[in-house]
Amino acid sequence: MSNMKFDDYLVKNKFPLFWCGGCGNGNVLGAIVRAFEELQLDRKNTVVVTGIGCWGKADDYINTNAFHGTHGRALAFATGIKLANPELKVLVLMGDGDGATIGGNHLIHAARRNVDLTAIVVNNLNYGMTGGQYSGTTPEASYTSTSPYGHIEQGFDLCKLVEGAGAPYVARGSVYNIVQLQKLIVEALNKKGFSFVEAIAPCPTHFGRRNGMKTGPKMLNWIKENSVNIKQAEKLSPEEREKKFVLGKFVDRDKEDYSTKYEKIFAIAENAE
Amino acid sequence: MEQNRRIRFIQGNEAIAEGAIAAGARFYAGYPITPSSEVAEVSSVRLPQVGGLYVQMEDEIGSIAAIIGASVAGKKSYTATSGPGFSLMQENLGVAVMAEVPCVIIDVQRSGPSTGLATKPAQGDVMQSRWGTHGDHGIIVISPSSVQDCYDLTIQAFNLSEKYRTPVIFLADEIVGHMREKAVLWEPSPDQIINRKKPTCDPKDYKPFKPDEDGIAPLAAYGSEYVFRVSGSTHDETGFANSKPDNADRFIRHYTDKIEKNKKDIVILRRFNLEDAEYAIVTFGCSTRSALEAMKIARNMGKKVGVLQLVTLWPFADDGVRELCRKVKGVVVPEMNLGQVIREVKRVNENNIPIVGVNKVNSEAITPFEILAGIEEVER
Amino acid sequence: MKERWEIILSGVGGQGLIVSGSILGEAATIYENKNATLTSSYGTETRGTFTKSDIIISDGDIYYPEVMKEDAVLALAQVAYNRYVGSLDEEAVLIYDSGLVEDVKASRAKQLGFPITDIARELGNPAVANIVALGIIVKLTGVVSPEAVVKAIEGRFIKKPRVVELNTKAFNRGMELVKD
Repeated sequence: MSNMKFDDYLVKNKFPLFWCGGCGNGNVLGAIVRAFEELQLDRKNTVVVTGIGCWGKADDYINTNAFHGTHGRALAFATGIKLANPELKVLVLMGDGDGATIGGNHLIHAARRNVDLTAIVVNNLNYGMTGGQYSGTTPEASYTSTSPYGHIEQGFDLCKLVEGAGAPYVARGSVYNIVQLQKLIVEALNKKGFSFVEAIAPCPTHFGRRNGMKTGPKMLNWIKENSVNIKQAEKLSPEEREKKFVLGKFVDRDKEDYSTKYEKIFAIAENAE
Repeated sequence: MEQNRRIRFIQGNEAIAEGAIAAGARFYAGYPITPSSEVAEVSSVRLPQVGGLYVQMEDEIGSIAAIIGASVAGKKSYTATSGPGFSLMQENLGVAVMAEVPCVIIDVQRSGPSTGLATKPAQGDVMQSRWGTHGDHGIIVISPSSVQDCYDLTIQAFNLSEKYRTPVIFLADEIVGHMREKAVLWEPSPDQIINRKKPTCDPKDYKPFKPDEDGIAPLAAYGSEYVFRVSGSTHDETGFANSKPDNADRFIRHYTDKIEKNKKDIVILRRFNLEDAEYAIVTFGCSTRSALEAMKIARNMGKKVGVLQLVTLWPFADDGVRELCRKVKGVVVPEMNLGQVIREVKRVNENNIPIVGVNKVNSEAITPFEILAGIEEVER
Repeated sequence: MKERWEIILSGVGGQGLIVSGSILGEAATIYENKNATLTSSYGTETRGTFTKSDIIISDGDIYYPEVMKEDAVLALAQVAYNRYVGSLDEEAVLIYDSGLVEDVKASRAKQLGFPITDIARELGNPAVANIVALGIIVKLTGVVSPEAVVKAIEGRFIKKPRVVELNTKAFNRGMELVKD
């Protein structure tokens, strides 16, 4: 196979990107295809699975196999794809509404089941495509198109959730620190078992506009100011910590993945009556 | 010969799982629900014995998603459920239609709506199986009336699914699913099994939604030489999203046409004593058995009664039923619902002959005597 | 020879009536090339409530799979006995467990009581009461041959010789209970 460059993984005739100015999705897309280049992934053997939402459009720009399913169900489609052919490299791209709100049940069960998938949730803290309503990760007290008086629910800490569900690899990066994000995506793709990367991303069009950050740079700056690494986070009080995006790798443990375990089932079943 | 034919006394649900495996299915994803759970249990035992995979998902939404994914990755796949789970599957059933993904969904009908009576039979999902997912589309729905049917017709369901690149719904019911009966499990020969067409073109030229002359596009598998995309969004031949009106029009018509225009190949009808019949019972699923018993009793009484069994419920056998309505003096339609199939029968009743429904929703099977009463009613 | 037999096995959940019904069905279909159906009705609970299985065995096709006119009814519980004792006609036989059915009533049907569960206990396991009862039914009706039932028991428990032995013993004991 010839050496693949990052733009060999892109569907350039679909450019320009569909996303708004200042959106973080393009940055995450860049990190993903550069990770592909770094790993020299075989296009034929790679499947990108997406759900519905702004980030769900990402597969339009990626030049591998793709499956564009329904809102919230990308992980379930991906589970079938991977288990049917464990040789495939399966990458699942979801937003916070898609992957962690309507699809939250699939997220925790995919982590528990430990199917060898890499899930990347771009968390822009609200539903972008439908007009900026609150999602399962919208921070308390922030404003969205459906929390006009301030949000009274608490948002998920997705990394804690997925860690609790048993995933062997859990990390959070942000669009502000794209080098780190790319490194985490590479690690996640290399990890055998369910790997999860959350990418904190700006949505100036909706979330930013309603929370005093109308432009991309303003929102990026807000993400930067509110981000701490794991070491710094340890020094914060629980109350202070809750308000921050803690970036870094939380879990990296070895666990036998589903398909490997199922290989043993074949042997047992063959000898059963 | 003995090796290729096993006589078993088993439940319909067990025969469905055996039929799926005989058809070449090697992937099951599902969520347990009465009265379909034996399909899951038998599949969990049998699939790994033949190199297949059983996975229990977190819900029915995930179950149908997983079998669709598995099918695009190259495995014949199926799931089994009942009313509440079938309701949850409707959105992703549309994905299988839109992305033209072969798969088989088994709905062992129970009494509804909602949780209803979980262990009791009904035939109330006829219209849901046709129109449950939103948007226009064609669909193939097959309804078994015996344990042997559960085996034979499951194989047929997979064959049609593969041939027409479409989800097929196997609409069983609690009576047939749980009944134990003799079934001959025969080993299909390779020419009795249909596998989806694979592309043969240069991988660069492959368009996963470009139909051949027969109207059906070849489907590659992920991991092959062919790199491709499928989508539940309105797409063009390449699988990329496409919002142009003429494209949407063409594809939405295609989803209906590829089924409706192949009715001759798809629809299975069974005719019993219709040659000289003056009155006919049009029936399907478990009610077929009551209808045949009623026919037997009526014939013993000297009444010329015949039975038309709709093995294929959808696409509806317009021609077969229309022809019947031209020939007989009256029709009785027994169904364990308040009248779903009878609407279709009336739709093609050009001569306005009397058509009477025998409808029962108390969770008990329709008895032959209730159908005989229906025949007396049309005789009047 | 009767063309169609309609038999009801009734009792409470957990008595293994579906198993004995299945063995009867297997004997008829697999070993005697007849047709048979078995339908069961039960509550959502697995144990303790009234259950019944309808078995139809015929040389011809079987359409309606529920019993329309009983030839034989087995009642392994008072609740089951009560349900049938009044409704059967003189051509039917009602077989009941005399150890479990205490309140015996008048019936148009021929009634035969046997200490079925007590005998199963004597054989070492009350769980084979269903198979003792199967022996009684087969001897009384001749619906299938005893050899076919034994083959069905062997086929079902092929990897468990001790289970085959106990069940065969229970079946034969049931046959012996019926006087020629």
